[in-house]
Amino acid sequence: MKIAAQEPTKSRRIRRSEAVILFTVSNQLFAIAADSVQEIRSTDSLGAAMEIEQQEISKVRHTIERNHRTYFVVNACAHFGLRVARPTLVLILRQVRVAVLVDKIERMTEVPAIHALPRAFVGTECQWYRGLAYLEDQVIPVINPLGFLTTSEFKRLDGSIAEAASQRTLEGAAQL
Amino acid sequence: MSAAMENAGDKSYVLVQIGDSRFAMPAAAVSELAPPVRLHRFPQNSPLVAGVIVRRGRIVPVYDVSRILAGKNSRAHRFYLVATRDFESFPEASAIPVDGECELVTAPIQHPDATSPRYVLGTLSIGEENIQVLDLNALVTVTAGESNKSDYVENPA
Repeated sequence: MKIAAQEPTKSRRIRRSEAVILFTVSNQLFAIAADSVQEIRSTDSLGAAMEIEQQEISKVRHTIERNHRTYFVVNACAHFGLRVARPTLVLILRQVRVAVLVDKIERMTEVPAIHALPRAFVGTECQWYRGLAYLEDQVIPVINPLGFLTTSEFKRLDGSIAEAASQRTLEGAAQL
Repeated sequence: MSAAMENAGDKSYVLVQIGDSRFAMPAAAVSELAPPVRLHRFPQNSPLVAGVIVRRGRIVPVYDVSRILAGKNSRAHRFYLVATRDFESFPEASAIPVDGECELVTAPIQHPDATSPRYVLGTLSIGEENIQVLDLNALVTVTAGESNKSDYVENPA
């Protein structure tokens, strides 16, 4: 029943079709651009992950080394405020030094368009998402890979790593 | 009904049922009454936003205003009233869940009294009922202190 002549504007589409990876975190479906993911690994294969000692950024507990770079492992449940699940996979991102713990990869697919997040959204989701995709009767948030950690969080985490390294050096020197 | 509504003019209002009360919205701002389509939810922390619905190829945010107007979260509602919210010069279709069918009325608006919340544009006298006319923009930006429902909290856990 249409009851007024005024036709609001169509959703703002910000890009044409795009290849995405669909994955779940605590039963919530997300999409991320396929070209922003460098590698997908099982958490079992991350035996060399280093624990990072810092309390401030609770979503990051570990780091991994890839190609002589240190990646911060972000727990996606904690990042999105979802019920904590047991992640089985890690997405190692391409543009940023971030690896994301997720539950399951659903599939790779193409979304016809990415709609800008409506202006009603004013919270941290504006950093988390690039927009929304509508696929097979589902609205799926499309992840912004740069939204997992802020510049200041990277600085604090890098600082924690440097502090831990200097502590180990001191302890090593004391043992000699 | 559709044609009559489209020509109803500025003094026409759409009456909606939210919780136990009826409220009015200027008909000029209302675009449709949508059936109870699927509400899509995803992690976010915007005040009052419950999720989004898809209408005519558009993604429409849904504001759960029943927490402000009825003092409780909406139950299983029957319809969504889709209206235009203005973000400065950008109109955006926005939906609020409503509990029953809508009615179109033409009536003079009375000025709101001094104690009315900011989101009340005025009142309509329909029979023995005084119905608050809502300003959608003000309603969805209301803060806990402005609500006339004492148990309204922003972002309930």
